[in-house]
Amino acid sequence: MTLVADRPGPGAARPYRFPQVVRRTVAGGQVVAAHLPGQNLAVALLLLDAGAGREPVGKEGLGGVLAKALEEGTSQRDATAYALAIEALGTELVTGLDWDTFQASVQVPVDRLGAAVALLAEAVRTPKLDPDDVRRVRDDEATALRMDWANPGPRADAALRADLFGVDNRWGRPMYGDPDSVAALDVEDVTVFHSEWFIRPGTLVVAGDLDRIDLDGLAAAAFAGTGGGPVDRGGAIDVPLRTGRRIILVDRPGSVQSTLRLGHPAPHRAHPDHVPIALAGTVLGGAFTSRLNHLIREVRGYTYGIRGDFASSRRFGRFAVSSGVQTAVTAPALVESIGEIARTQAGGVTEDELAVARSWRAGQLSVELQSPRAIAGALTTLVVHDLPDDYHARLRESLLAADVAQVSAAAATHLHPESLTLVVEGDAALIRDELVATGLGEVVDYAPAD
Amino acid sequence: MPESGYPWPISTTRLDNGLRVVVSADRTAPAVAVNLWYDVGSRHEPVGQTGFAHLFEHLMFEGSVNVAKTEHMKLVQGAGGSLNATTNPDRTNYFETVPAEQLELALWLEADRMGGLVPALTQETLDNQRDVVKNERRQRYENVPYGDAWLRLLPLLYPPGHPYHHATIGSMADLNAADLATFQAFHQTYYAPNNAVLTVVGDTSVDEVVALAEKYFGAIAPRPEIPPAPDGRTVPATGVPAVETVVTDVPAPRVYVAHRTYPFGTPGYDVVTVLATVLGSGRGSRLYQRLADGERLAQPDLVGAYGVDLAHAPAPLIATATARPGVTGERLAEGLAEVVDELATVPVTPTELDRAKALLTTAWWRQMSTVDGRADALGRYATQFGDPATVAERLPAWLAVTAEQIAEVAAEVLAADDRVTLTYRPEEQP
Repeated sequence: MTLVADRPGPGAARPYRFPQVVRRTVAGGQVVAAHLPGQNLAVALLLLDAGAGREPVGKEGLGGVLAKALEEGTSQRDATAYALAIEALGTELVTGLDWDTFQASVQVPVDRLGAAVALLAEAVRTPKLDPDDVRRVRDDEATALRMDWANPGPRADAALRADLFGVDNRWGRPMYGDPDSVAALDVEDVTVFHSEWFIRPGTLVVAGDLDRIDLDGLAAAAFAGTGGGPVDRGGAIDVPLRTGRRIILVDRPGSVQSTLRLGHPAPHRAHPDHVPIALAGTVLGGAFTSRLNHLIREVRGYTYGIRGDFASSRRFGRFAVSSGVQTAVTAPALVESIGEIARTQAGGVTEDELAVARSWRAGQLSVELQSPRAIAGALTTLVVHDLPDDYHARLRESLLAADVAQVSAAAATHLHPESLTLVVEGDAALIRDELVATGLGEVVDYAPAD
Repeated sequence: MPESGYPWPISTTRLDNGLRVVVSADRTAPAVAVNLWYDVGSRHEPVGQTGFAHLFEHLMFEGSVNVAKTEHMKLVQGAGGSLNATTNPDRTNYFETVPAEQLELALWLEADRMGGLVPALTQETLDNQRDVVKNERRQRYENVPYGDAWLRLLPLLYPPGHPYHHATIGSMADLNAADLATFQAFHQTYYAPNNAVLTVVGDTSVDEVVALAEKYFGAIAPRPEIPPAPDGRTVPATGVPAVETVVTDVPAPRVYVAHRTYPFGTPGYDVVTVLATVLGSGRGSRLYQRLADGERLAQPDLVGAYGVDLAHAPAPLIATATARPGVTGERLAEGLAEVVDELATVPVTPTELDRAKALLTTAWWRQMSTVDGRADALGRYATQFGDPATVAERLPAWLAVTAEQIAEVAAEVLAADDRVTLTYRPEEQP
């Protein structure tokens, strides 16, 4: 054998660098920008306090319909002219929402950024919202959700969310709504939501070569004609844990896999244990090398992949495990997954595992934050969670400093294997008896609320 | 407009064992991408061994002579890196992006599995990864509506015996029949330094990479004869449209129209790339304007067209649309065919052309905005065209495409009598 047997150690570490952050207040709005010298591509992203959390209960999916309606013509041009104008710059209008924010963005070669932001603002601030167009977009969105809900996953996600957070709450219903909630929206819902939330200035996030970008000019375009100030965003919500586990069975006849969604409520984003919680989640299920993926995929061969993590927004959070497993091994996959969660809660993590988890999470702050799009995402985190310019450098330090005792304590405190809701979406006729026989919890059939 | 699509330095060195080492230094960020292209894909698989190249890719993560089972992933992630691999009909690529100080570790790992996989390969590993791959097949192709479209399109586009006739994921029967000796032979045949390109992009230097490559890969023996895949460059036109209709559990009718065009990397395929963007990218595209907006036959989020960038035979162009409620698959198929037919008869306007080129320009720089995106591109051009520097030519070539060329290419390769049409219909026809 001619290979070098000895594994090389690392060379001299380069200092960690997050791009220089620039913050400005212009025309009543905030600008947060990152300087990427030499980068040909630039991203601008308008961040509004108009996430799914702002939608009234019963109006789920409103933000998604409005997002699509923005492109159906503006005060200055019809839908086709708008599409041709913005795509001629090399970008589409990319919209997205999560619980905390609504985002609209453009990505273009840097010399076209000014023109692209002007068009972005035109759609967000002054959409035509013609009633016929809004109704058609709504119907299209309902159809699109129906298509999506024909896949395994969305129904299981909805069942888990409802069980964790309660369907009486907006956050107990699907973030993007469901086919029925969207179909029931009317034109006024959309126009009112726009006037309430889309003409406040918000924050313009920019990632690109700032030597070639006129930030004040971008801001003037993004914030023109806006008014109204920030609105109270509400505090953390106290979500009670279940006493005892239950299995919710979502029938999908003919399914060759069972879709698993296991979860329980967890802390919101600003919780002081955020870093140790994230590391505990990484050891348990957040990386390819995690306990869950190792056992369920690499040892047992039950699945193509399984992951578990803690996710959090400003007001609430959850721990969840998701996977698709071959139908015949649904019950053992469930039992063994819960076994790993319980083992992690009771016994904590090892130094070996934690070493991988913290280096990986710290390294990702260099490796995954390269493109303007990724940097814009990182700036968005600063804005939404009120974090300082040096947050990523500090996060890196906290990750590398976390020890076994802290992370094991976080696992002990924030994992609740006895309170898990276990959603199984699969061929009920084939798996029901086995699920009952596991004794993991009462088996109930999924009954979506009307 | 840029003269070049690759304004960074490129250096190529060939080690004595035939391994090509491509380096492109960029000290902007403290990260480095390591990428290996092996010139073996599912096109090399003989009948009865479909899916083997991809299953083999899985085995490459399961340990080698100096790397224990499960250690590969742990070492890369424990070094702060991201890693993965993919297999397609043409080739298999392996890649990791790591903090710059971990470059040597990444090269050591890649060398160990290039030169020392076979002694570590066990029946247990094969059995486990076979199960994982079968689950991948279930998850991605069998358990989702329309998931098997690609599996159905390939045999309609390429005749039996053609290297693209079967899909990379393979058949369950072949995967079940896979034996250890076949995989040992597979590695010995194709995973040789003279059948690979090692590319490193990021915070490093040519001297450092070449010295490390020599140290870790230099002693791996080349393989004198590497059997080529069957030649698929000529696919005779049948003159007869291929039509398949699948009645199954799908939420709405969907139609795919597909054609064989030209191999990726040829001038003809550059025209196809621009044509596909005119046809099916964005709300300003012909498919969106005509089918989603105009006649309202198609769901707006689900119309599109794209070329599949394969280099060893005429690559497919695929256009697809999904019916709005109340629209039949037949009506949708007619509408889709009409828009494709018009590419030869209704000239592409300057506005359409500029729009397509602008979108392609952004897409190009998006790939080039990360060290891993650049490394994969350089590995491709070195493997498929013999010179990584030719990567710089692609964007200018797209930008030089004319409306006349699009019409000519459409007339030549998008003829209705050589078209594949695959339609999915729900069991209860709306």
